[in-house]
Amino acid sequence: CRASGDGKPAKFQPPPKPVIIDKQKQRTERRFLSPEFIPPRGRTDPLKYYMERKDMIQRRKVFNIPEFYVGSVLAVTTADPYANNKSNRFVGICIQRGGKGLGATFVLRNVIEDQGVEVCYELYSPRIQAIEVLKLEKRLDDNLMYLRDALPEYSTFAVNMKPVPYLDHEEIPVNKLQVRMKPKPWSKRWERPKYNIKGIKFELPESKMKEAQKWSQPWLEFDMLREYDTSKIEEKIWKEVNEGLKK
Amino acid sequence: MMPIWTKSGKKHAVTLLKVQDCHVLRYLSKEESGGKTAKLLVGGKNVSPFFKPESAHQIFKEAGVPRKQKVTTFNVTDDAIIKPGTPLYAAHFRPGQFVDVTAKTIGKGFQGVMKRWGFKGQPASHGQTKTHRRPGAISTNKASKVYRGKKMPGKMGNIYRTSFGLKVWRINTIHDIIYVNGSVPGHTNCLVKVRDSKLPTCKEYNKNPPFPTFFADGDEKLPEDLFDEEIFQFTDPSVTYT
Repeated sequence: CRASGDGKPAKFQPPPKPVIIDKQKQRTERRFLSPEFIPPRGRTDPLKYYMERKDMIQRRKVFNIPEFYVGSVLAVTTADPYANNKSNRFVGICIQRGGKGLGATFVLRNVIEDQGVEVCYELYSPRIQAIEVLKLEKRLDDNLMYLRDALPEYSTFAVNMKPVPYLDHEEIPVNKLQVRMKPKPWSKRWERPKYNIKGIKFELPESKMKEAQKWSQPWLEFDMLREYDTSKIEEKIWKEVNEGLKK
Repeated sequence: MMPIWTKSGKKHAVTLLKVQDCHVLRYLSKEESGGKTAKLLVGGKNVSPFFKPESAHQIFKEAGVPRKQKVTTFNVTDDAIIKPGTPLYAAHFRPGQFVDVTAKTIGKGFQGVMKRWGFKGQPASHGQTKTHRRPGAISTNKASKVYRGKKMPGKMGNIYRTSFGLKVWRINTIHDIIYVNGSVPGHTNCLVKVRDSKLPTCKEYNKNPPFPTFFADGDEKLPEDLFDEEIFQFTDPSVTYT
């Protein structure tokens, strides 16, 4: 409608452009900071962690360390002076990620010809030539050491497994698999609350489960001295790592 | 402590030592100090001057330097004398040199004979009455006395100890950090004295150091990081064997 006042013809207003709302981008960007970047709580000088992070970023620029979690299936090729082709490829499920800084490690487990094999690799070792993620997923626990006492079918993965494709914007699938165990005795008493395992289907009688709850320490979650809030530290390190990788 | 990898793929553990505000404080000639060689007093980390009397600030005022937490002596030959007041940097050492590191060990307090001297103690059961971690016999019958220096319980730790022959792998000139092979006595963030190694097997590696020291305002411009030849640098691709 032309507003009165001037008397002159109003300028042609083009129609507003259609705004495309991309729902994919609207979802919050997923940030993954590898757990070995977060410094442990202690009295060491932060300069030491800064020097280590510089080295870690330098290594990541040359060699790609993909994002993976405990429970994903990886294939690692290392340089081996005693092997045929001077390289060695191992496929397995990651059961634990340990260590901080340059000494960060991860343990891969697989069952080869009915023999369970676990190999501990260092993420930043120069002997590692390639890390591929064959299946990216999370499990209910941070530590899958109980797979040693589970039935071997849960730890077997084909050595020539094809990588499962994974879309960038989706959330990481959580595998809510409940694992069945071999008969007791186990290497550790996984039913006790200190391990806080949610991924085992306990087929023990109710009395045993109740007896295991005797070792529960319900005051631990309220202990304020054990709290370690890493959100602010993670923000800073995330910015630092991103800037370092872009250069 | 940090891991470090060589070009052949072997891993070594490395301690980081930071050179924080080191200045030469005073020169003592051979006759003054009463030793075989001349001595140089060197001061370490800067600290506030308000907690010590004025008489203690004499040395620092003469050198024109803030008060230091630790003052150590180095035996120096006559051609290596440095003017008091010059700062010392980590570039004084070069990768490939060998070094002795002295520091006060972690104090453990009053400790028994098993922890302090490594005695075996006594069995846990089979009739032992109230005797599981005791020293047992302390001397023989014929001696009829206890010898001086007998190992007994007492305060353990918090004494100066040296680790000899530690290789320097890497030097960071911007932050003044020396990466030294292996472990070093003392707790984290404790003060440490680093000296050229006196071991006879390390003499040939310690030739051609920056002599008498590395001067920051001189002509030499060093890169940010100095590496030893055998270190795997993270800018290189992964190690392969042929």
